[in-house]
Amino acid sequence: MVEKRPAADTVTALSDSALLVRLQQGDEASFETLFYRHYDRVYGLLFRLLGNRGEAEDAAQEVFLTLYRQRFRTGREHNVSAWLYRVAMNTGYNTLRGRRRRWQRNRVLLPDATDAPVDPAERVGQVETRALVRATLSRLQPRQTQLLLLRQMGLSYAELAEACDVAPGSVGTLLSRAAAAFRQAYDQEKQGP
Amino acid sequence: MAEPEEQVQEVMEILADLAPTAAERSRPAAQALARVRQAAAGQRSASNWRRMLTMLRRRAVPTTALVVLLLLLAFSFPGVRAAASDFLGLFRVEKFAPLSISAEQLALLEEISNSGLYPGELVMEGEQGEPQAVASVAEAAALVDFTPRQPGTLADPERIFVSPGSSGRLIIDLASARAIMDQVGVDPTLLPDSLDGEEISVHMDAGVSQAWADGTALTQVPSPLVAYPEGVDEAALGEALLRVLGMDPREAARLAGSIDWTTTLLVPIPEGVASFGEVPVDGQPGLALESLDGEHAGLLWQRDGIVYALSGRSVDELLDIAASLD
Repeated sequence: MVEKRPAADTVTALSDSALLVRLQQGDEASFETLFYRHYDRVYGLLFRLLGNRGEAEDAAQEVFLTLYRQRFRTGREHNVSAWLYRVAMNTGYNTLRGRRRRWQRNRVLLPDATDAPVDPAERVGQVETRALVRATLSRLQPRQTQLLLLRQMGLSYAELAEACDVAPGSVGTLLSRAAAAFRQAYDQEKQGP
Repeated sequence: MAEPEEQVQEVMEILADLAPTAAERSRPAAQALARVRQAAAGQRSASNWRRMLTMLRRRAVPTTALVVLLLLLAFSFPGVRAAASDFLGLFRVEKFAPLSISAEQLALLEEISNSGLYPGELVMEGEQGEPQAVASVAEAAALVDFTPRQPGTLADPERIFVSPGSSGRLIIDLASARAIMDQVGVDPTLLPDSLDGEEISVHMDAGVSQAWADGTALTQVPSPLVAYPEGVDEAALGEALLRVLGMDPREAARLAGSIDWTTTLLVPIPEGVASFGEVPVDGQPGLALESLDGEHAGLLWQRDGIVYALSGRSVDELLDIAASLD
């Protein structure tokens, strides 16, 4: 018997979990729908972490490749966006570590250039500000960085709880702590060594 | 000091600077999807390691031929195993150097492996014994030449195995080894003529593996002993290995010259599979590995001549377990 494939518009109406089940069964259209549904946010998170379009795109590609290959356990609900954010953070940190290794090998500490053409004066200010913010984030625990970046991207407390694997009731406290840690590290970074 | 809510808001405003501007937005999603599909086509074999890890989580490591968890992960790819594992036998383990290996390179090595090309003949000495289940760590200790350590933070392990020692030698077939290098686009003359027919012998002592019900597993095994043929230039072979694993010529030459090949084990880690980094473990420099989905983690380190491989759910948990070893 030939299995009937759902029409494209039917697929796009399915929940993430349902799409994941279909993906596990080899349905490529489901992967495509999941990709279009989540790519921009995954890229946005990675860009905030890495500050470089090429690297963020490469890392986002890795994230979705991991999703494509992943064999999820059947019979339970999976929060795809939370899973993607977790994988994105790990991939992003991996990229940062690789970048540090490259720098160490080259013995030249170059700022990572973004390829966006902008006004030179504005660019200098933006680069400095971003470098300061990223240097601050690098001093926080990875989970605090994840919490802050995802909150800045507009995730709700419930979504943050899922993405960061914490109890929903503790998100507010954890966010406050992360903000306090950021503020303290930010002030120290501004003062310089 | 600002109120918590106010401070969070203030931080959000600072972080808003990191958002991509219009010029920094990703290329169209359709292009990105096409790239993912293209990469996926070349990476189908990459799921091997995950199956291997799942197997590991269910039972203790049942062999001494596979020294450590991370090697197991990397070497679940036939291509890497065939093209690199024999070279890796050149190193006496004291420290570890992770190296990312691309999907394209893996696919290429796998293809070479499938074609039946190997860098030499591996001859194992004597019978290869099966892992032996024992009832206690004390019983395991009586069967090995070291005292296995136990983590204080975990209850008694569910299963304990002693893997028998083994010895083997690789008889280098220079023509085949050079053919592999040629196929991956590496200058075959990196391997000197004098290597042909030379033997590299490896001896591994018996090791102990412990497994807990939650999937945590710890393997301890004395560092393998490796005897090189006289006059072998380890840096030249190291450079050849780095090239086979996909590193560009200048980088391979530079790195090969800076690594102490007599004590450093290169750990190839497939790209897009796991994140990795150096961490202090048990008072030693160690290697931490975490699958990108955050579901699996591993630690690898060496202390007092014993190689430790610890696997479980998260690096943080594993570091706590490692810190509690008696």
